[in-house]
Order: sequence, then C-alpha cells, then structure tokens
Amino acid sequence: MKQTTVGGNKRKAMNLLAIAVLVIIFMAFMFPFLMVVINSLKQKRDIIKSPFSWLFTIKGLSFDNFVKAFVQMDFLNAFKNSLIVTALSTLVVTLFATMLAYYIVRNKNKISSFTFALMVASMIIPFQAIMIPLVSIYGGTLNVLNHRITLIFMHTGFSMAMSVFMFHGFIKGNIPIALEEASCIDGCSHLQTFFLIVFPLLKPTISTMVILNSLAFWNDFLLPSLVLTDKKLLTLPLSTYSFYGTYSADYGTIMAGLLLCVMPILILYIVLQKQIIGGVVAGAVK
Amino acid sequence: MKKKAARKVAGTVLLTVLTAAALTGCTFGFASDPDDPNEVQEEIPIDMSVDTFTYDTSLSGTSITLLNSKAEIQVALEKMSAAYEEKSGVHVEVMPVTDGDSPYTKVVSLYNSGNPPTLSILDTTDVIALAQEKAADLTDEPWTAEAEGYLTYVNGRVYSLPLCIEGRGIIYNKAVIENALGREFDPSSVKTQQQFVNLLDELVNAGVEKPVSLAKEDWSLGAHHLQYIYETYNGTSEGAQEIIEQVKAGTLDIGSYTRLSEFLDMFDILKKYNVAKGDPLGADYDEMAIDLADGKTAFWFNGNWAWPNLEEAGAENSDEYGFLPYFLNNDEADFANRQIQASPSKQVMLDGQYASEKQQAAAKEFMNWIVYSEIGQQMLVKTCNIIPPFQNNPYEPADPLSRDIYEKVHTGGAFNASAIVPNDHWAVLGAGMQKYMADRSDRTELMETIKAYWAEQK
Amino acid sequence: MRSKNNGKDFCIFALPGMFCFFAVVIIPFLYGVYLTLTDWDGVAKTKNFIGLTNFAGVIRDGQFWNSLLLTFQYVIVVVVLVNVIAFGIAYLLTRGIKGQNFFRAGFFTPNLIGGIVLGYIWQFVFSRAFVSIGESTKWSLFEISWLSTPGKAFAALVMVSVWQLAGYMILIYVAGFMGLSEDVMEAASIDGASGWRKMVNIVLPLMMSSITICLFLTLSRAFMVYDVNLSLTAGGPYGTTEMAAMHVYEKAFTSRAFGVGQAEALILFIVVACISGLQVYFTKKQEVEA
Repeated sequence: MKQTTVGGNKRKAMNLLAIAVLVIIFMAFMFPFLMVVINSLKQKRDIIKSPFSWLFTIKGLSFDNFVKAFVQMDFLNAFKNSLIVTALSTLVVTLFATMLAYYIVRNKNKISSFTFALMVASMIIPFQAIMIPLVSIYGGTLNVLNHRITLIFMHTGFSMAMSVFMFHGFIKGNIPIALEEASCIDGCSHLQTFFLIVFPLLKPTISTMVILNSLAFWNDFLLPSLVLTDKKLLTLPLSTYSFYGTYSADYGTIMAGLLLCVMPILILYIVLQKQIIGGVVAGAVK
Repeated sequence: MKKKAARKVAGTVLLTVLTAAALTGCTFGFASDPDDPNEVQEEIPIDMSVDTFTYDTSLSGTSITLLNSKAEIQVALEKMSAAYEEKSGVHVEVMPVTDGDSPYTKVVSLYNSGNPPTLSILDTTDVIALAQEKAADLTDEPWTAEAEGYLTYVNGRVYSLPLCIEGRGIIYNKAVIENALGREFDPSSVKTQQQFVNLLDELVNAGVEKPVSLAKEDWSLGAHHLQYIYETYNGTSEGAQEIIEQVKAGTLDIGSYTRLSEFLDMFDILKKYNVAKGDPLGADYDEMAIDLADGKTAFWFNGNWAWPNLEEAGAENSDEYGFLPYFLNNDEADFANRQIQASPSKQVMLDGQYASEKQQAAAKEFMNWIVYSEIGQQMLVKTCNIIPPFQNNPYEPADPLSRDIYEKVHTGGAFNASAIVPNDHWAVLGAGMQKYMADRSDRTELMETIKAYWAEQK
Repeated sequence: MRSKNNGKDFCIFALPGMFCFFAVVIIPFLYGVYLTLTDWDGVAKTKNFIGLTNFAGVIRDGQFWNSLLLTFQYVIVVVVLVNVIAFGIAYLLTRGIKGQNFFRAGFFTPNLIGGIVLGYIWQFVFSRAFVSIGESTKWSLFEISWLSTPGKAFAALVMVSVWQLAGYMILIYVAGFMGLSEDVMEAASIDGASGWRKMVNIVLPLMMSSITICLFLTLSRAFMVYDVNLSLTAGGPYGTTEMAAMHVYEKAFTSRAFGVGQAEALILFIVVACISGLQVYFTKKQEVEA
C-alpha cells in the first residue's frame, strides 16, 4: 500500500516536472510568433528601436499595418487565388499519393520498388538545381506557364514523393493486410476496398499530410513566382512583394501581411486537430 | 463561402490582437496620431496639362512588360505606366523582381520560360552580360544625345538607357554638427583627411561620442567602399577599367598601389569613430538611419538611396543633409577630396530576341516619352524621386540627398566613374572587408584576398 | 490486390501519381544533369557539349568543399537535437495532459513564419535580446551579437534550424504516437525504471516508421538548408557560415558559373542520396510490419 502511494506521488511529481519542462520549451517556441504579433501593431521606428517592448509602452500603436497590408496585397483576390491553388493541389496530391503508396506497399514488383526508391532519392534534389530546366521545359518548350492548373500540377508533382513516402510508412506499419483480405471475401473491388477500408484508416496521416502540404502550398514563394507573372493570378505570398525594398523593408506591414496570410492555415490546423484524434479513435477498433 | 472565410480570418486576427491588448492593458492610438511618421507621405502633384509629345497612334493597343529591379519605385512606376497608357494607348505591365531573387536570376529564368520582359531595369553588369545575346541595339535612339557621358558602351554600341544617377559619400546631418559645436558648419571647409579627423575629434569632445555609422553589409563594404580604389584611379570609368585590367593581369602590385593604402587609411578612420565599434559586425542598417536622424551620430557612409530610410526615421525634406567626399589623403588638390562619386546605376534594356517589332517600337516610344515628354520628365523626378541623367530634364529632385548630388553633378562637385567588376566582387571581397572591419585580419591579409580574387578571374 | 487485374490496378492506382512526379521532378532533373555537361551559361542560345569540364571546375572550387564540410557538422548536430526534442515533446503531448491541443498549436507556429521575417525576428533575438542580457548580467557569452563571431553564428544557425524543424517533426511524431493502441501507450507511461525499459523495448520499435521518416526528413532538410542560412546569417560573418546549398546558388547566379553551380548541385545530391540511403536502409530494418 505504502509503496503505491509513494509511486503515485512520484508519478505526480514526474508529471509536474514534465509539464514544467514542456511549458518552458513551449515559450521558447512561441516567442518569435508572439514577436510578430506584437510588432505588427507598431510603426517601423518602434520596431527597430524597441522590438521587445510590450504594447503599452508604445504610443501610436494601431491597426494601420493591417489595413495597409490588406489594401496593398489586394487581399481578397490573392486570397481567392491561394485558396483555389492550395485546395485543389492538396486534394489531388492526397488522392494520388494515397493510391500510389497503397499500390507500392501491396505490389512488390520491380516498377513499384524502383519508383519508390526514385521518389525517396528525389526528395533530396535541391530545388535550385531543377529551377532553370523546369522553366525551360514548361515555359520555353510547352508554353503553359501563367495558368493556375500548371501551378497545381507542379505542386502535386513536387509534393508527391514526400506524401507517398509518408503514406507508405503508415500503411505498412498500421494497416493489417488481414483486414483487406476479410473484406475481399465479401466481393469488394480493389477500388472499393481502398476507399471503404483503407482510406478511412489513413485519417490521422491524411490530416497530418493535408496540414503539411497545404502549409507548403499556401506559403510557397519560389515556385509560384516562376510560374505566375500575371497580376490577376498572384497568390498571397507573391502579393506581399511591394513591402520589400532594395535597401530596406517595411517590417510592420510585412508582419501584418504575414499574419493575414497564415491565419487561414492556423485555423485549418486547429480544425484538423480534432480529425487527428477522431481518426485515432476509429483506428483503435482494429 | 469566401466571404465567410475572410471574415473568420479577420475575426481571428482581431481576437488575437484584442486579447493581447487586454492582457497588457494598452491604449490604441489610431491613424490620426500626430507623431505618425507614415502620415508625411504626400503626393507631389504632376502637371498633366501640357503635353507636346507626339504619340504614334498605330501602336495603341500594344502591350509590353517592364521588369523592375528597383523595388522602392515599384508603385511610382505603376503610376507612370498608367499615365503613359492614358496618353498613348500602350499598356506597360510593371513586373517586380521579388524578395530573394536577384535581377539577373529573374531575367535568366524569364528568358528560359520564353516569356522575357520587353524592358528590364537592370544593373550595369547585368546589361553587359546580356547585351550582345539578348538586347536590342539602341545606339541610334535620339535620347542618347541627352545622356552624353552617362551611356554604357558594349563593343561601341549602346544597349541600355541610363535611368538614374546615384551617388555616395559620407552623409552628414548638419543640424547635429551645428548643435554640438555651437557654430555654423560649412561642409566645403573640410578639404582633407586630417581636417575630417579634426572635425570628428571636435564632435567627440562636444559630446557626440561615436559620430560615425558604418554598415556591415557585404554590398556596402565590398561594392561601395572598396570600389573607390578603382574609381579614384583618375576619376573616370575608363581609368577604372584600366586599373582593373592591370590588377587582373597582375602587372600592378596591389600591395604598393597608393589608392588602396589611402582608401584603407580612410576606412580605418571611419572604423575608429564607428558608433558600433565594440561589435561592428552586429550593427543594424535600419538603426543607422534612426541614429543619424536623432543626432546620436553625425555621419553615415551611404548613398542617396538612403533617403527613404532617413525619412522613415523622421527626417524631412527641409532638413539639411548632404555628402562629404571619401577623403583619401591630405592633398587639397586631389579630386578625390573635393568630389563625391556619382554615376548612372540602373539601366533599362530592351529585349531584341522575343519582342515583336510593334512591341519594340512601343518600348522605344516609352523610353523617349520618359526623356522628352513634359509628363514623363516630371514623373521621373517627382514621382520616382530619381536624379535624371538627361540634360534636357529641367526638374530638380526634392529630397536633400538627391538635391545635394544634383547640385554637385552640375557644379563640378562630383566625378563620374563606375567600375565594372565581376558580379561576385561585392560578395567575395565584401567578406574580406568584413573580416578586416572586425579586426580579425590585417592589411596584408586583406591585400592577399584581393590579389587571390583577381588571380582567379583570368 | 496481388492477384488479377494487375495492369488495370497499375493504371488506376499508380499511374496518375507517377506521371505528375516524373513530369515535374525527374525529367527536369535529367535535363539539368545534361546541362552540367555543356557550356551553357543560362542565357546563351547555343549549348556546346564540353564533357566533364564543369566537374573539374568543382574540384578546383575549394570554397565548395569547405562549405560541404561545414554542412556535415551542421547536419549531425541538427539531426540529433531535432529528433530528440521532437520525440520527447510529441510523447508528452500525447499523454492527455491538460490543454494539449493548445500546446500542439503553439509548437506548430514555427512552421508559420518563413522568409525574411524569420531571419529578421531571430536577428533581433541574437543581436539585441542576447546583448541586452549581456549588458545587465555581464556574461561574456552575451556581450556581443552572436551573429558577429563565426562559432556563435554557427550555433545560432543550429538553434533556429532546430526550432523550425522540430516544430515540423513534432507533428509527425504526434501522428505516430496517435497510431499506437491504447495499451501500448499505457505500458509506455513512465513510472520507475521499468517504464524506461518498456519505452525502449516496446514503444521505440513500434515508432520506428515515424523515426525513419523523421530522420530522413531532418537529414535531407538539414543538408539542403538555404532559407534560414540566407535570412539569418547570409553566410556571414565573412563567409564562415555559408552552407553547401547556399554556395551552389551563389556559384550559379552570383558568380555566374552556371555549369559549375549545376554540377555542384549534382554532387551535393549524390552525397546526400548516399547518406540518407544508408540511413533509410538501416532504420527500415528495425521496423515491424503490422
């Protein structure tokens, strides 16, 4: 009896310690983001002279930066463009990558293992190394730049390797083949098996990948800047260009613009978090 | 759906902000705050009533693109192109070179995509690299006569229009000096290196403890500082070219080249009085503008492009700022002690490979419009805040730094020499200069670095 | 799925994804490899085949090999720190402590700040916050900006990379822990010495697929470090923190040696491919199939 009480206390103490450590690291992680929020409300002079000062010590604090960012970015139009590109790219890559990963896990033939190896290797290609060849082929030869669909296609292609790699790992590790075999006895087609049995079980990973991919698409700068030059098509990160000067940058507006850009992703993350948990509950039945 | 999402975003931002505000108990000051430095940006009116420029009506409806690598005039250029379109019917789409890209990289990738800009604003080195392969020959354009002395020749031909004159030197804040010394300050009274040092000492004694701001950025050290050794050879671009050829060929020993040791003497002086002397490589560029405007320092080595920074820091058009030369020695007769460096920096190149004949004609008309039309002339100076290299442009720039350069250019107070060095000169030798600035290398090591760099360029 | 209709399955399941991947990544990459064998400078209209001349240029470029060596040191430190920290935090965040959703959202924020803002904020931390700590405490560690001495600038680069990458890896480790069943997690709760052993014997093997992925991702991302390098130190002070990817980019576009830069990118790719290939081979062997 005594033993367990001691153990319980110890456990409690361990828990408290763990939480304390977590809080400290957490603050270190949050700190830069907090700085962005605080400084987005200040004028440039105050940002430079007193970046760490808390809000109440500064006068002339205002939403000006947000208003300016909103107008100069043509926010609603850029938001629409980003939304279309990100949503479609994420959708397509999730669908194609889960299917391809599933195929590779369940079919151990030469083509699938070669493709998989190639994909793993391709993830370490520096983007700068294919930047010029890419625009030569799609611009110079095929002349399909300046279309949203081209950007969506390229986003899909570039995130394919990483997504397949992730889904491959989780299908292999967490989805028992017995489950599929059982369902196949009931006369399911492969496509049905995939969408009815496998796809739902992938939910936690899909949620993670949707977050990671949409974050990458939403914030990407280099690829869209190569593909899109037409003003009407610019995405959010591209539309912040006017805040940067050669010798100086408009930091307050940049930070306000950054917050305007990332808010949707943060919301998506908070929404999908529930999905991740839900997925685990469903998966626990296995 | 979209609106809902947007509202949600706005709502979240607001919530975050309000929570933060509530937590810290602050009060908000809104846009009409009298101290708000963002409020001073007023539009300078452009007189559109007189326009004697003849437009080629057959070009109306043509669409051309202009790649802009001078980010600070992006908005001004858009206004200019709108004004031009209204008059001529030619649409000029202004494309920015965005954060992280160099103008050269951007142009190269656009050429590879088969969709290059009709006109590109580039640095002189970029034009030289691209001219013969891509650019249209502009030698016979009428404006070449107005820009005498500011043209860049590639094998005897002109491939670019010089857009602006930029100059650099030691920026002073007259009010700070006068307040500290309690007497009138006449910049032309400082004629030698020694007199400059005396002035610095006087300021130190008067309480301006560290009177100089010195940027640590490699482009400042490697291009703006170090290139004086080529440009001051005899104060001309040809002279700069000559000395570079000699260094490259190894016929000139950099170790015994006087301009280099003189340059380092001056650099050492700036180093000694540097406000960030304790940690020169930790200096912050934006803070330097504030220090100069506030009077913490009296000098800042920089060029007229620093004006937007100073203005943001609280300086006004009516304040007295200007340039001192980069003093190289104690010889009052030496041009380097009497003149500041000022030369054309950005060039406009016309694509001759992909652009159609009509587009090329429209682009040429746009260039002529900038040089000859009343509206173009005004907008170049007033809207873009540029010092024009064209003799026929009667307008004068408004800010004190550009005004000072404009005056010096027209009264013999400036020398026009630009050194054409390999594109990585500023990066490689900028690093060498940083090391010297931080006292982690000596003159010998720096000279070896310069020598080794040039030896590789053969 | 193994039995019949293999061709049809291939077309439905594998082909769409493979097509996107090959068209966007592999073909431009092969074209890029071809370009390293030519004298093309990125601009010229003609391309002449010059064999391995560009690779000879790589061998002569001492700076490249220095930056590669530096990158190795950086990668080792970053990979270890990122994975230990991310694994630990993810473990704590999946044990049902109060407010764990709030915590998870917080740890996610490093992913939201990119580009110039990232470098700018951290420059403040290293050049201002640390220096003001130094002024009040007189610690010589914080006396001058971390970014102005080579060793500390390197440390700063590592810190920011760990901050950013760990935020990403936490996400993957959390997903991994969530995939484990309740009783495994129950067993893994640390109480006393036996708990630690259970962690190593039971949880680690089950988490191996997440570990494989995270190790691989940190390895490749650390080798490819570019954004943070550029925006935080820009290679400074005086070029001492220039990593391989940044050098490649500078070589191709600032020094205008397009062919040599492209060849260096290829060599960097081969080095990283070998190392991460070995890593995946060894950690995959530890994985258990469900």
